[in-house]
Amino acid sequence: MDSLPTSTGSAPNRPFADRAAAADRGRAPGRDRPGGRRIGAGAGGPARMVVLAAALATAGWAAVAAAQAKLLEPERAFAFAGRGLDDRTIEARFVVADGYYLYRDKLKFSLDGAVLGAVPALPQGKVKDDEFFGKVETYRGMLLVRLPLAAAAPGRSVTVRAESQGCADIGVCYPPQVQQVTVALPAAGATPGVPVEAAPEKKRWFN
Amino acid sequence: MTTRRLLLVFGSLAAAAALVAGLYFGRAGFSADGRDAATLLAITLPDASGTPQTLAQWRGKVLVVNFWATWCSPCREEMPEFVRAQTDLGARGLQFVGIAIDAPDKVRAFADEIGVNYPSLIGGYGAMELSKTLGNRLMALPFTVVIDRQGAIVHTQLGPLRDAQLRSIVGQLL
Repeated sequence: MDSLPTSTGSAPNRPFADRAAAADRGRAPGRDRPGGRRIGAGAGGPARMVVLAAALATAGWAAVAAAQAKLLEPERAFAFAGRGLDDRTIEARFVVADGYYLYRDKLKFSLDGAVLGAVPALPQGKVKDDEFFGKVETYRGMLLVRLPLAAAAPGRSVTVRAESQGCADIGVCYPPQVQQVTVALPAAGATPGVPVEAAPEKKRWFN
Repeated sequence: MTTRRLLLVFGSLAAAAALVAGLYFGRAGFSADGRDAATLLAITLPDASGTPQTLAQWRGKVLVVNFWATWCSPCREEMPEFVRAQTDLGARGLQFVGIAIDAPDKVRAFADEIGVNYPSLIGGYGAMELSKTLGNRLMALPFTVVIDRQGAIVHTQLGPLRDAQLRSIVGQLL
């Protein structure tokens, strides 16, 4: 089995103290979440406003609970597939469901049955300002990564393993998961293979 | 006045909707009300410095057990609020305990940086499996369990537990 790190390093650390100081001042920036909405001043007596605020807050919690009830299994939120592009290239694919995202610096690919010829080039992600880790890049929607093999291997079966970690916008993160598919490399000059989708696996990552 | 009436109607509708939703989700298993926390209280996990700690040592307190990790940004975001709640309500018998699904060095670094004033234990796959039996279906984080002084589970929460909600839950137990 061959394993290479991806081309991204870990995100630069920002002093946590900055963040703690922000928290001490009250609410840290960017912390508005569903359910925590501010009720603006408007018509109606104070008592009525309190009732309304309480009702909205409860409705907000219920809405969050409802969204959490619909949370996807991680292998569905981050659907992995692969295909043989040509006799020396495998294309890895993630389809990230709406409302979910993957971290670029947590993506790792490894192969069984062939050797990677270079560190896979990961596309630029969307830069997100993480309160603790500084700038991190995330992927949404479709993600395609080409995995170049060290040598042509027409017709060979190769297993691609992808380790990934992502979260849902609702405020929930999944542990890193490993998904794998076995793809056949096409003959030299042949058309690319059909994508093979990873079967949901019960067993996931753990330390 | 029309605006007032509208507001009142809207407020009542929202309250009714919230009540229905609350009842529905309560029945659908969102709260583990009254369930016994015995399995959770029976575990022993190492703390961030490697010393084994039993959860049973905090029996009799209002216990908030928070499953988290440094790789989970919503987890990190809510922890300063837990630190403040521990400061404010610790003397009245509130005790937070973090169970990190993470490496001890990362847990130590993060806990030091934000000044976590409650124990951080290190859990692995077993801890995640345990959270699953408590309602954490997808083994996602953050996941928080509130246990009363008698050892019954009063509330479980997948996703952030907001300060107002936390204080309203534990306020009735202290």
